[in-house]
Amino acid sequence: MLPFKRAVAFALAVLCAGGITIGARAQDAPAGDIVNGKRLYLNSNCFTCHGRAGQGGAYNGPAPAVAKTAMPFEGFLGQTRNPSNDMPAYAAQVMPDQAVADIYAYVQSLPGPREAKDIAILKD
Amino acid sequence: MAQGYAKMEGKPLAMMCHGTVGLQHASMALYNAWCDRVPVYVMIGNIIEGDKRAPGVEWVHSAIDPAAIVRDFVKWDDQPASLQHFAESAVRAYKIAMTPPMAPVLLSLDAELQENPIIDPESLRIPKLANVVPPVGDAGALGDAAKMLVTAENPVIICDRLARSPAGISRLVELAETLQCAVVDNAGRMNFPSRHPLNQSFRRSVISQADVILAIEMNDVFGSLNAFSDRITRASRPTVKKGAKIVTLGLRDTYMKSNYQDFGRYQDVDLAIAGDGEASLALLIETVKRLIDPSRKSIYETRGKKLAAAHQAMVEQTKSDATLGWDASPITTARMCAEVYAQIKDEDWSMVGTSIRLSWPHRLWNFDKPYRWNGVSGGAGVGYNLPASLGAALANKQHGRLTVSFGGDGDFVFAPGTLWTAAHHRIPMLYIVQNNRAYHQEYMYLTAMAARRSRGIENAHIGTTLTDPNIDFATVARGFGVHGEGPVTDPTDLAPALKRAIAAVKSGQPALVDVVTDPR
Repeated sequence: MLPFKRAVAFALAVLCAGGITIGARAQDAPAGDIVNGKRLYLNSNCFTCHGRAGQGGAYNGPAPAVAKTAMPFEGFLGQTRNPSNDMPAYAAQVMPDQAVADIYAYVQSLPGPREAKDIAILKD
Repeated sequence: MAQGYAKMEGKPLAMMCHGTVGLQHASMALYNAWCDRVPVYVMIGNIIEGDKRAPGVEWVHSAIDPAAIVRDFVKWDDQPASLQHFAESAVRAYKIAMTPPMAPVLLSLDAELQENPIIDPESLRIPKLANVVPPVGDAGALGDAAKMLVTAENPVIICDRLARSPAGISRLVELAETLQCAVVDNAGRMNFPSRHPLNQSFRRSVISQADVILAIEMNDVFGSLNAFSDRITRASRPTVKKGAKIVTLGLRDTYMKSNYQDFGRYQDVDLAIAGDGEASLALLIETVKRLIDPSRKSIYETRGKKLAAAHQAMVEQTKSDATLGWDASPITTARMCAEVYAQIKDEDWSMVGTSIRLSWPHRLWNFDKPYRWNGVSGGAGVGYNLPASLGAALANKQHGRLTVSFGGDGDFVFAPGTLWTAAHHRIPMLYIVQNNRAYHQEYMYLTAMAARRSRGIENAHIGTTLTDPNIDFATVARGFGVHGEGPVTDPTDLAPALKRAIAAVKSGQPALVDVVTDPR
């Protein structure tokens, strides 16, 4: 991992641990509550397909990784409401926009991928 | 067990059970084997004559037609009425089971016939067995297919249950290398090396770019060439390019039954060749080589280099993906598979089972030999993985291979007594329980249904999770006399646990490692 990325990840981890509300992507996302986002991510069963670490998984087909997703918030919200694949649609009545924003903040706070070359058993 | 054994050893294992209750127990295993096109030789007992049955259990264990409950998913069955009839049916059953497309067969054997003295032994004889030579596709049709392949810009080969023997793998490699074309392996068998540069199994976009698709020994061609939406309104759309030519080669069209719908949706194709895939490849390769215009070789080389580069990029991306949640607890399935591979990669390993949609081994490991893999259940009936893995381990034992298998916790609880068989018969096997503490496919499905109805999402765990109490699989294993490790919750504890378990396996014992994992 690049030093800068590591520092950002660490900062996010600290913010997450403290339950501090941040703008997940200040330039394009509403403010989200990471702690509430984690609660929703687990209780609404997002983790069942996308993994507790946001590493992705599989349902009928691959479920993409969401940890530190590059998807802008609008796309994330759109995917939640009108998914492009077999992901179930979450209507606003069960997951208001603010809840989606909290989940977005949470997944943005998760560590992204590391450098695989730094992990010995992934070299072969 | 018989299904796993046959796929590894290339010949059926005999299986005996009660004709009524035993066969009812065995019926789902037979369904798996039938869907998986695996030969299993089943013998059941029956007492045909009512006046010969003892009062009580022999009546409830007798039937007029005991094979009726499985006739939809065995290839052939008989209830011989004499010893000579038995001899002929016994040989015929073996021959039918071993003729591709292979499938289970069943003989219902009358107790009187089994136990009464032989009155006239000199009159009996065992017929000669001549196995059927698998049919090769029509030469003209294979020639037409070869013409399409050599002139295509982006030919793609898709396969599923292709390789019956090592020859199947080497022939597929030869065909792909001759054409320098992409191969998408659905992994119904060990068909194609996972690290071959032309392996594009995890880059299915190649299918949508193909102008010629050769589908070999595919059960569900439609499923591979179409996208399907599991939504309120279920819909599908082709993922192949308009005008792409589709050629099928295999014996699927020659063997069909009506009731159970394992044949999948009907797929439009341009050329359907009836012939055993493995046997037909030799002639197809020869024809392709004869038809290749030398001036096109540079085009092939360029195509192959592009595919190799894409394969390498895919490998790098896979490794990067595997690092997500690397230190997490519960342990990610990627970390679990990487840790297992680190311990076995220098052994003569054979992976014989996997939990639902666990693709990390095929994405990360080097599957380079015929016995590295033997496919999945076929019928997706729960309770397959543990006994089928032990059957494959029994086959591997005589070859000195290190058998490794992953199985889900939900699947495990359907046939845990398999562990006693493993311990009793000293069948070495490393069994990893991917313990996500749920029937997880159902957990996800209920979540999807609840979200669809906008209610009860938080209740999807009811009836789908295996918690309260958590199952301690290592203790269960020890209770059956099997070396048990775990539950392992910290990823740093995994390597030491695996080392201990593998040491037990190498000493000739079965061993189980309970790994508490994230869902998928």
